Amino acid sequence: MKLYSLSVLYKGDAKVVLLKAAHDVSSFSFFQRSSVQEFMTFTSQLIVERSSKGTRASVKEQDYLCHVYVRNDSLAGVVIADNEYPSRVAFTLLEKVLDEFSKQVDRIDWPVGSPATINYTALEGHLSRYQNPREADPMTKVQAELDETKIILHNTMESLLERGEKLDDLVSKSEVLGTQSKAFYKTDGCC
Amino acid sequence: MAETNEEVAVLVQRVVKDITNAFRRNPHMKELILSGTLNPIKDLHLGKLALTKFPKSPETWIHRRWVLQQLIQETSLPSFVTKGNLGTIPAERTQRLIQEEMEVCGEAAGRYPSNYNAWSHRIWVLQHLAKLDVKILLDELSSTKHWASMHVSDHSGFHYRQFLLKSLISQTVIDSSVMEQNCLRSEPALVLPKDEEAAASTEEPRINLPHLLEEEVEFSTDLIDSYPGHETLWCHRRHIFYLQHHLNGSQLSQAMEVDGLNDSSKQGYSQETKRLKRTPAPDSLGLEMEHRFIDQVLSTCRNVEQARFANAYRKWLVTLSQ
Repeated sequence: MKLYSLSVLYKGDAKVVLLKAAHDVSSFSFFQRSSVQEFMTFTSQLIVERSSKGTRASVKEQDYLCHVYVRNDSLAGVVIADNEYPSRVAFTLLEKVLDEFSKQVDRIDWPVGSPATINYTALEGHLSRYQNPREADPMTKVQAELDETKIILHNTMESLLERGEKLDDLVSKSEVLGTQSKAFYKTDGCC
Repeated sequence: MAETNEEVAVLVQRVVKDITNAFRRNPHMKELILSGTLNPIKDLHLGKLALTKFPKSPETWIHRRWVLQQLIQETSLPSFVTKGNLGTIPAERTQRLIQEEMEVCGEAAGRYPSNYNAWSHRIWVLQHLAKLDVKILLDELSSTKHWASMHVSDHSGFHYRQFLLKSLISQTVIDSSVMEQNCLRSEPALVLPKDEEAAASTEEPRINLPHLLEEEVEFSTDLIDSYPGHETLWCHRRHIFYLQHHLNGSQLSQAMEVDGLNDSSKQGYSQETKRLKRTPAPDSLGLEMEHRFIDQVLSTCRNVEQARFANAYRKWLVTLSQ
């Protein structure tokens, strides 16, 4: 079971802003790594964009599961994991990270922040520790207060999109993805 | 074989371009190894590199087994040495080969989910190089436990644990029947632990099979509770439960059969033996515990799949007692 990325974002009225991200792409082959990282950023932003405030969702895409939590105050977190990683622990992680972030970083910095300007350094450590869910969260088996029935489940990324919207178009228009990644997406068709 | 770095680089490039044929179609590869021109250890190393990029490649695994077979046959040094008065253990060189193969398989298993080719190679090594040595089987059981707990839907990984337990059972039955013929007793031994106590003076590693199986059941419970909704875990539980009852049934019949051979007055057991062999009777306590486990899972789980698997397991248990 694996965690690939952990991101904190802000769901602004106009657009979604990435505030901080941590990645673990060690399981990917060397040449794929930078593209994979860009795709994870792209995916995280897209998911937050298409999720309402005050919701939690899990989006399935091939062998990946993207768990998202958008708070009512527009602060959002996305965890990209494989399909073995227990979703309950993923949501516990998101809750914890966003709580900590909101205490360390002033609200006023959120709408205009970027990974370069935001001062929050705990993300890498959290990602690394939570690779083993039972070490990180020994109470995994205890029923979480979180009501799992309220988590929206999407079976594909496509179901997040508007009618008529195509993922391919979003990929080619994206500012987050480099040319190489866009080419990689076309040939391999994967995220 | 390649001597310079450049030659190695070209070789690896060729491998990367055509992994299907790199070890298969080259007509001279086998001759080169057999004639001693190509070093089998280096060939194994090349295979190891190839597997980092193609962890499933059937041709690479097949060729690897051929090379290993050459290695254990070729030398005049024995691959097994006698220890004590009971058994043989793998020689140091063989142990190193085995360890290396375990590592290569482990890495390949991590590179591709449910990598059947890697895990079946691992099994082959234990059967043909390690000859199902009990100590090695036990080591493998404990050393793969953490990996299994971090790959809860890797069916091949859990199948490996089932293979290890089955092999431990078969190896112990062989050993205990040998011991029973050597020991002087007045009544048939019915439970394996008692056999172990009786033969404690020998050098054989003592293994408590019922305890090992119990531990595996606990491991299964732990994983099912922590990671709801993985069919692999429920399949594994079925296998372990079945092994526990097969163990109870056939251990009994095996012990009785051995005595039957030595003591004609015990021939009356033969009918009983046949009945046991035909229908392993699951003990009611074990079944009861399993049903309670299912109840507990169903009452606390919120995962739809988990509920489905728990119910399917219940149905399967019912068919066992029929």
